[in-house]
Amino acid sequence: MKLSLIFLLALAGLAAPPELDKAKAFGNPSAPLRIELFSDFQCPSCRQLHMQILPSLMHDYVLSGKAYLVYKEFPLSMHSHAKEAAAYACAAARVGKYEQVADALFQAQPTWSVNGQVFQAVATALTPAEQKKVQALAMDPTVMAEVQQDMQEGQMERVNQTPTMIIIRGGKKYPIGGTLAYDLLRRFLDDLSK
Amino acid sequence: MISRNRILQVVLPLLRLAVGGIFVYAAWTKLRDPWTLFAISIDAYHVLPQWAVLMVARTLPWLELALGLVLISGFLRRLSTAGASALLTLFFALMVRAYVRGETIDCGCFGPGEAISPLTLLRDGALWGGAVFMAVMAWRRRAGQVGNLAHVAQQISETVETAPPRE
Repeated sequence: MKLSLIFLLALAGLAAPPELDKAKAFGNPSAPLRIELFSDFQCPSCRQLHMQILPSLMHDYVLSGKAYLVYKEFPLSMHSHAKEAAAYACAAARVGKYEQVADALFQAQPTWSVNGQVFQAVATALTPAEQKKVQALAMDPTVMAEVQQDMQEGQMERVNQTPTMIIIRGGKKYPIGGTLAYDLLRRFLDDLSK
Repeated sequence: MISRNRILQVVLPLLRLAVGGIFVYAAWTKLRDPWTLFAISIDAYHVLPQWAVLMVARTLPWLELALGLVLISGFLRRLSTAGASALLTLFFALMVRAYVRGETIDCGCFGPGEAISPLTLLRDGALWGGAVFMAVMAWRRRAGQVGNLAHVAQQISETVETAPPRE
């Protein structure tokens, strides 16, 4: 059972080529800092981080080439629509709209997390043609495998809460769980960059 | 049959070494990383303003290190055990508060990446219990020593009073 699971996950790893990973990553891949953000679209703290911290982080570190940001899906089992939302986001990544769909999902989180109409939120960030593609892709087993692979990576990194940022500098990993004050994160990233 | 005192003579130094060692380890896990990482852990508890968070993040690991070393050395036993108990009472209370409020935050006990859970509460609770026990025993022993000295002094004075006057 365990072996077959490992085999399936390995297969999922093969099924998700590196360029797909790039669709969920931002900044310069050779930047000194790499930030892996394990997030759940239905988690309120992830929404807070996405809407309050991430814009400053993007501006100060990612766009300036100091950090490479990689989104990872980590839908928690306690959130009934989180996996579906993650699948739509990964599907949107394949049409180059990950960031837009992530924004839309977090923006409308209070609505779809209650009524379950996840695609309604996703659709607001897509053209009609993209909507059809994303709807079809969300059913694709390789997209679900991609979500599963992110979750597996999170478990290997001992992610036990969302959001969790794993900041990597020179091979050393610094996990930071939960929401945080941007000023402190900035100080920490500056310390690491020295 | 082994007496209670004999057991305490073995248990207390071992407990002191264990708690001291844990304090040194906790300090090391914080000092090896940039201090701002520990500041993030402290801030997650939402009990201090940011200037205080920064001050505590800079100083607390050194305090833990000093306390751990003093505990291990066995010097200033009453003071060090009382200090460790006070510190662990504070840590444990903050952890329980965060857990009861349903906050999923990092414990910050031994570096980052360890969320507060029943297991961390059990571990820190046991540590807190051990420290309080050491402090109580250290102060009781002191009180006992004072009591013994008073008893000896009283006996001497009684002996002096009852002795026949010398020519």
